[in-house]
Amino acid sequence: MARFLPLQVTDIRRDTRDAVVVTLQPRPEDAGAFDFTQGQYLTFRRDFDGEELRRSYSICAGRDDGALRVGIKRVDGGAFSTWANEELAAGMELDAMAPMGRFHTELDGGASKHYVGVAAGSGITPVLSIIKTTLAREPKSRFTLIYANRSVNSIMFREELDDLKNLYLGRLSVIHILKSEGQEIDLFTGRIDAEKMQALFDNWIDPASIDTAFICGPEGLMLTVADSLRKAGLDDGQIKFELFASSQPGRAKKKAVSKDAAQAGDMTEVVVTLDGATRTFRMPKQDENLLDAALAADMDVPYACKAGVCSTCRAKVLEGEAEMAINHALEDYEVAQGYVLTCQCYPLTDRIVVSYDE
Amino acid sequence: MDMKIEEYLAQGGKLTSPGNVPPRYRGELLRLMASFVDSELAGAAGFADTINDAPGIKNRIAAAKITQEKLDHAGRVLGVMGEFGGDMAAYDRSHDWAARMDRDADLSAARHGDDMRLSVFHYPLQGYVDAVVLNVLMGLATVVQLDEMKRVSYAPLADTFREIAPREARHVELGLNGLRQIIESDDGRAQVQDAIAYWMPKVDATFGQSASQRFDTQARFGLRHTTNDKLRELWAQRVNDLLLPMGLA
Repeated sequence: MARFLPLQVTDIRRDTRDAVVVTLQPRPEDAGAFDFTQGQYLTFRRDFDGEELRRSYSICAGRDDGALRVGIKRVDGGAFSTWANEELAAGMELDAMAPMGRFHTELDGGASKHYVGVAAGSGITPVLSIIKTTLAREPKSRFTLIYANRSVNSIMFREELDDLKNLYLGRLSVIHILKSEGQEIDLFTGRIDAEKMQALFDNWIDPASIDTAFICGPEGLMLTVADSLRKAGLDDGQIKFELFASSQPGRAKKKAVSKDAAQAGDMTEVVVTLDGATRTFRMPKQDENLLDAALAADMDVPYACKAGVCSTCRAKVLEGEAEMAINHALEDYEVAQGYVLTCQCYPLTDRIVVSYDE
Repeated sequence: MDMKIEEYLAQGGKLTSPGNVPPRYRGELLRLMASFVDSELAGAAGFADTINDAPGIKNRIAAAKITQEKLDHAGRVLGVMGEFGGDMAAYDRSHDWAARMDRDADLSAARHGDDMRLSVFHYPLQGYVDAVVLNVLMGLATVVQLDEMKRVSYAPLADTFREIAPREARHVELGLNGLRQIIESDDGRAQVQDAIAYWMPKVDATFGQSASQRFDTQARFGLRHTTNDKLRELWAQRVNDLLLPMGLA
């Protein structure tokens, strides 16, 4: 089960107008749990108006930096990122889960490789961690970073990247692509699209020299760059992805208002939505769980363990009440939002509306 | 500018963490992982007896290695599942992986019992020759399935399958070595032929139905790319290519 541990904010530094870099210190007994791999992220939780919100932010520190650091860019309407940018201060505590994520490759001190990173905006955060760790631990490898931003002022870690270029002379090259500011070379102006990738391959980066590419940014960038890399001859195993989805909701939705709990009848009318289609059937309140009832009604609902441990059959109760027999998979905040494990779910009300689509 | 996740997936996009998977995708992804994990755990539990049954130390080591690595592969995919919040230790404890049904049961492709193992892993093994034959036939099916699963749109899982695939391929090679030894005797060859006749339709059934609504859903999410029939055909071809030179096809 996911477990949150406290981290102390030891430093918070403004990096750009709308991004902060937060340094965090685990308790001594948790140090092992926060021993991260380059490119991983931390998931934080915090209560906003009584509702728990969870957000993941990538670690920007290298493994040899001796510190745990994340970059948090403010997203318009984003409750957590706005709070972190405006109110978070040194000395405060944040709850986080141990680092997760597989946006990395194994490093080998003897390797002599060429890595390419393509990042847009805050997508630089995990890539920076990878760059630092790789250049420190693979002395014969080099790294080319293609980094897209709106303007010079919005470039995160600009100075830090310059310092790294000087520290690892000849082993790190950074190509800034700026959307709204003309540079002396046209190639470096505008946005990253297929044409721009091709021009970079023609003039700056020999795709045949690339061992592994790391892409981090929003959906469009991921698709464009992966497609260009594949066309240039890289196979899927050489392309590592970290999606910074553009559509993360700012706030968790409120739990649907429930009607009176535990009604008298023996049967329940169940309304189930799956893949946009809604079906209604009746089931007994006891002896049969909602998952089995839906399967018996010929709905192809997802499930796996049927023991309340894997969460494959998770669905949301939109109306009515239900109770769960066993729950080893959903956390309190998910239950508070109305989620249930349908394999363990027994309706209490005469009517219940459940969706697998939310 | 913002693209819907569904649209992104339809264009071949990859998802990278539990935080960015939509709810329906989550269900199908977890189900797909559970099917692999349960099959590996059930497969390893059934194969464990082969360690004692195998003739000679080298063959026992091969059987032990296959058993150990299948457990390891289950553990790796369980690790990816666990990032979605479930209690994976409880998951492992919640089923009897060594449990088997009757040798003559008619299970076709449907799931049985409370776990998601492929139906072939409900049938009991009958000794060493039987185990070697199933290992080769099902191993080849796993190789074909993993080729497909390496393209899965959930990147952490695709990476895990890429790590696993070469070792599963090696299990087939170990099985083929065993098979060559067994068919040196006429009696051994006859036993192998019986076992092939028994297991072929059961492994064939693991590829599922020709057309299914689940496949369409999974394809829309980028969780599947190749139809069940095409995969079945690839598998049958590989079986034929390997067994024909041994006079077993």
